[in-house]
Amino acid sequence: MNVRYGFVIDLDRCTGCGACMVACAAENNVPPAAPRATPRTGLTPMLVRKVSNGMEGAARREAFFPIACMHCGNETPCVAVCPQQAVEVDKATGIVVQMPQRCLGCRYCMTACPYHARYFNWWDPAWPAGMEKSLNPGVAVRMRGVVEKCNMCPARLHSAKEKAAAAGKKEIDPADYIPACAKACPTGAITFGNLADKNDSVFTAAHSSSAFRLLARLGTEPKVYYKSQEPWVRALAERDSDHATEAQHG
Amino acid sequence: MKFTRRDLLISTAGAAAGLVLSPVPWKLLSDASIWTQNFPWIPQPAHGPVGTKYSTCTLCEGGCGIRVRMAGKCPVGVVGVSAHPLTKGALCPLAFAAHQLNWHPRRLREVRHDGRAASWSEALAAFRKASSEGPIGIVDGRPGRAASSVFEAFTQKQQGSYQAVLSAESQALAPYADWSGVPVASLGYDMENARTVVSFGAPLLDGWGIPGRFTHLWADRAAGASDPQLRLIQIEPALSRTAARAWQWVPIRGGSETQLAAGLARVLLEERLVKSAGPMPHLTLDDAAAQTGLSAGGIRDLARTMAENRPVVAIAADGNPAIAALNDLLGAVAAPGGIVRIKEDTTPHVPDAASSPLRAMLLDSTVPWEFAAQADAEVFRFAAWDGGGNTAGWLLPAPGFLEELTDVPTPPTSARETYSVAMNLAAPATEVQSAAQFLLNVDATLPAVDKVIHARCEGIFRARQGTVYGEQTLALSKIDSAQHLEEQLRKGAVWMGDPPRDGRFRCELKEWPTGVGVSPAASWATAWALPVLPALATKLYQESTLRELPVGRQA
Repeated sequence: MNVRYGFVIDLDRCTGCGACMVACAAENNVPPAAPRATPRTGLTPMLVRKVSNGMEGAARREAFFPIACMHCGNETPCVAVCPQQAVEVDKATGIVVQMPQRCLGCRYCMTACPYHARYFNWWDPAWPAGMEKSLNPGVAVRMRGVVEKCNMCPARLHSAKEKAAAAGKKEIDPADYIPACAKACPTGAITFGNLADKNDSVFTAAHSSSAFRLLARLGTEPKVYYKSQEPWVRALAERDSDHATEAQHG
Repeated sequence: MKFTRRDLLISTAGAAAGLVLSPVPWKLLSDASIWTQNFPWIPQPAHGPVGTKYSTCTLCEGGCGIRVRMAGKCPVGVVGVSAHPLTKGALCPLAFAAHQLNWHPRRLREVRHDGRAASWSEALAAFRKASSEGPIGIVDGRPGRAASSVFEAFTQKQQGSYQAVLSAESQALAPYADWSGVPVASLGYDMENARTVVSFGAPLLDGWGIPGRFTHLWADRAAGASDPQLRLIQIEPALSRTAARAWQWVPIRGGSETQLAAGLARVLLEERLVKSAGPMPHLTLDDAAAQTGLSAGGIRDLARTMAENRPVVAIAADGNPAIAALNDLLGAVAAPGGIVRIKEDTTPHVPDAASSPLRAMLLDSTVPWEFAAQADAEVFRFAAWDGGGNTAGWLLPAPGFLEELTDVPTPPTSARETYSVAMNLAAPATEVQSAAQFLLNVDATLPAVDKVIHARCEGIFRARQGTVYGEQTLALSKIDSAQHLEEQLRKGAVWMGDPPRDGRFRCELKEWPTGVGVSPAASWATAWALPVLPALATKLYQESTLRELPVGRQA
């Protein structure tokens, strides 16, 4: 079966609680902030940005944009610029995979990414003494000096594949592979599935009239779709992040 | 044979070519790559067989169902349980990293007395001496647990005092308890049947009550709809997370909730929008408008919206009696979609008062760090994490997250009675004692926590009503013994009771209350009684601008 994993994020359901950010970090052994880390130098493979309609007083409206790697399906910018072939698009799943073992830390990919969804490990990963015992045993800790981003929780995909293989199946059960952010979302705003499967709910959602993609004009064919009934929220999708309200880039 | 310069060049070039064509450099590169990921200072995850346990989160009173991933005896991940009847898989953001809390740098690892290291035996001797010299006051941050029974039993025997610190959600229900005689623990909000929810500053979408319960309701019935099934109206000075997602945000002046409630009541009574003939507030509509910063027409429109979209329930962020009176006027008390009675228990808890000044106070680890104890009493403060600034009295290390066997009674705001048990899944990294265990060491005749839990399971089993949500969803009548029920609960199941046969109660309100609330509006971490946050909370406030660090907390 043709598989193209992707997200559909309903912005009207997002309350900006941040559960997706914490769950992502816990699942993928992303370390807590180093003392000097800032929103610009931190590690947030899933980042929820607060945006507003720019009005003040009772007319002001706010919404929240969960932003991760868009897993671009066409002319993937980070893949094109990486001198180490440390990023590649997995042909079987459509996931844009970052391989820290190959990364030399040049950060071309960070410059190339139009969504600012890539982060650099500026410091050695560090947890308070003993806390390493609470890390996810299925995920290797990345070292200082490499770039990282959302890989759609590869440990969960591997686990689902192992389970399917043990059961003698070639394909995984969709219920066995849900990335941490989608699983953690308390309102069901983040949904995950196979965008190439017409029977999958994310296919329907991605093709609904209120669905849109960020910076669609660039033609990178992101596999992260957003939904909103609010015209002012949809209008933000084509604005460059430098002008996108008061949200700070992480 | 003479080795010439030409031979040297040829052999060097040959060796270089051979090396490139051989797998050696690639293998070395690969090994170096792996080696650099395993520097001694790179943290290594825990080793051991990976398994899953079900339990109940004990970080706050919400009682969320959790699935804990274990590597050996170490919890390595926490997620929600979608089959949980109240939370339906939702957790607050902090719970996802709660398993890291036990390793927080501020974890208390030794007994301290007046800021110096001491021992458990010294603490025990000091407490025994204090209890022989005068009454002991025990403060409990989460009343209704098995440990609370131990505390009450101790204070009754010792003629001391037992005091419960109520959460903001419980405080909001206190006026109904005062007016009706039904205990706070027997009251809840039936939001599932409400058509309009009017929040006076309560962070309904940001951790209020049972995280996940209202957010699920809102997401299913209101999110993104212009004419939703559930109307959420948020009355709050600032555009909070809840206000940003509400169907209507009503920005009022800070601290004017009482005046707005009075203005709404006046409109409801004057325009006969309600059936009841409750007491008329003294405040005029124009005065209410002036004090809240809204227009009189705006208050009138809001009152009409509430009256036209019933069932409606108003929810206060604190114990503001004017908002409770507004609910009474709207007919939202003891009615579907409003304030409901969840059990027929009619015995309100009356705090035991000590006959003389307290000689010492024992503060349970559930008591917020900010709690101010009686100044002249010797303080025995149990805590898993040091909130700083406490150099007087005894500081006693308590069990951390998932390190203690405890039970979780009905969370405040729940519309149904529930009961679950949280097992001690993780081994404490240091010598810890819970306050209940400490008291048992003082007086061995007190009931032990596990015996109280056992007795409670027998009580639930004898009542033969309700449903158990665990590996399977089973009506209690299908469970064959109290032991079987207890086993299920110890494995992470939750029992949910049926609605009471007689849920009637009345609030006797003779005049419109003029008092104001008793606590400030809740913030995202108000329910977080711990002085520390999980390390990964830095994602929310340091590595992004999503939230601000709560006052007095440290990640």
